[in-house]
Amino acid sequence: MNQILIEPFRFPFMARALAELAILGALAGTVGVLILLRRLAFMTDALTHTVFPGVVIGYLLSGEGGIFWGALIAGAATAVLLTLLTRHRAVTEDAALAVLLTTFFAVGVVLVSRESGYTADLTAFLFGRILTVTPAQLTQTLAVTALVIATMVILRRPLLARSFDPEGARASGYRIGLLDLATNTIVALVVVASVRAVGTVLVIALLIVPAAAARVVSDRLALIVPIAAVIGALAGWAGLAVSYDASIHHGLRLASGGTVVLVLIACHLIALAAGMIRRRPRSVRRAA
Amino acid sequence: MNTATDPQVPPPALDLDEVSVAYGPAVALENIDGMVAPGEAVALIGPNGAGKSTLIKAILGLVPLAGGRITVLGRPPAAARRDVAYVPQADTLDPEFPISVGQVVLMGRYRRIGWLRRAKATDKEAARRALEQVGLADRARHRFGTLSGGQRQRVLLARAIAAEPRLLLLDEPFNGVDAVSEQALLDAIARLKQDGAAVVVSTHDLTLAHLACEEVCLLNRRQYGFGPTNATLTPHRLRATYGGHALELRGDRVIVAHS
Repeated sequence: MNQILIEPFRFPFMARALAELAILGALAGTVGVLILLRRLAFMTDALTHTVFPGVVIGYLLSGEGGIFWGALIAGAATAVLLTLLTRHRAVTEDAALAVLLTTFFAVGVVLVSRESGYTADLTAFLFGRILTVTPAQLTQTLAVTALVIATMVILRRPLLARSFDPEGARASGYRIGLLDLATNTIVALVVVASVRAVGTVLVIALLIVPAAAARVVSDRLALIVPIAAVIGALAGWAGLAVSYDASIHHGLRLASGGTVVLVLIACHLIALAAGMIRRRPRSVRRAA
Repeated sequence: MNTATDPQVPPPALDLDEVSVAYGPAVALENIDGMVAPGEAVALIGPNGAGKSTLIKAILGLVPLAGGRITVLGRPPAAARRDVAYVPQADTLDPEFPISVGQVVLMGRYRRIGWLRRAKATDKEAARRALEQVGLADRARHRFGTLSGGQRQRVLLARAIAAEPRLLLLDEPFNGVDAVSEQALLDAIARLKQDGAAVVVSTHDLTLAHLACEEVCLLNRRQYGFGPTNATLTPHRLRATYGGHALELRGDRVIVAHS
């Protein structure tokens, strides 16, 4: 067990990958609870797609280092656009998101297809390159994490009030538009921070699954948030360790990003089973 | 006369002066006029779509006025929000939301607590007392969604009470509420009035309007009457307000059929 979970991380590149994934997992798990409460899973999915052309353009303009900033600009633009679009009920949220999602994604694909190493690049953008995380990238991730967590701590009460009862929150004087912009920006930032390591496709799993699993296990927000963060971080660790072990010791090449997601799904299934066992006595009582 | 600057004479809790609200070209409310004093309750009565919720939103300063003026505690609505509490209909809220009854009630204190500070003992005590006033002190640790509809409505009223409002706005609080919860709501509203808060309740229920409110405002886009409950709830006025949906019983009573 030790050999699988500890041994691989003696290599500096593996240690960096572990640190990156553990931080991202904890961050995404925490932000995932906000997504869960606001029922923004579909919007988050749209965001992961709209960030994609930003990633591509950033890469085309200034290589690896441009990815973060390209994604950041695309993410910020999407956060603002989504806030504006969903403010006016004339366009239903679903339709607006679907249009935005496909348009942005198509732009990204068209841009990538002009490059010579087309499929390799596309794969990297979609699924990330966790094993080539640089110290600078790690610093960026830490900075984003600090910023997002600080914002969520400061806004925790308005965000909770707005998620639970939007009309009531508006009535007590909270600026809903600004809170929604903050929420969309937070989600965009996490997507941007995760994009190089786990790719635009897999980040959705990091954002949605830990919070969903934690919600099944507990009814209490004070527990759901830490549980989601821990699940996110542990799944990152376990996924990375398993994919390394399979590749090195068993000749079985497992993509680390995909393995992380599969570990997350396994966590969710365990949580569902645990939740069913925990809830059983209560539902029997209710029926009686 | 400007009563707001005179410390001897408290301003009315609510002053509606020829209030009109329009959504684009559609007029939602026209020339609503009336006044509510501290410690008084007024029932907003009218059919669905009459503009009751719109008037409540206007008093909260959430919809722009097409004409007239609303003054809340001597101030414009947006400047008075700290002293105004709003109770939405409980069934508009997600029953799956992972939040405890105690947390919901504590939300009533959020504006006082601020953003960063931890809730003080006085805030927790205010929340506990508010929950006690609606008779649900023993449910503080339960998840909000596990309570019955009537109990959830009481929790939302407790949240409003915890805010220590001087004007309380309730949107159809008695809809789908069982008899026990109805009595608990009526008791809590009566106590708030005793403490000097003014109350505005929108309701379909004429009996409850009689029980809870000394004044009524009859609404259907425009105002069909505003005044003391007994004098205003006349068969003639109710028929005018409800149009074809009002039926007469024994000459002097009217029942209202909901479509």
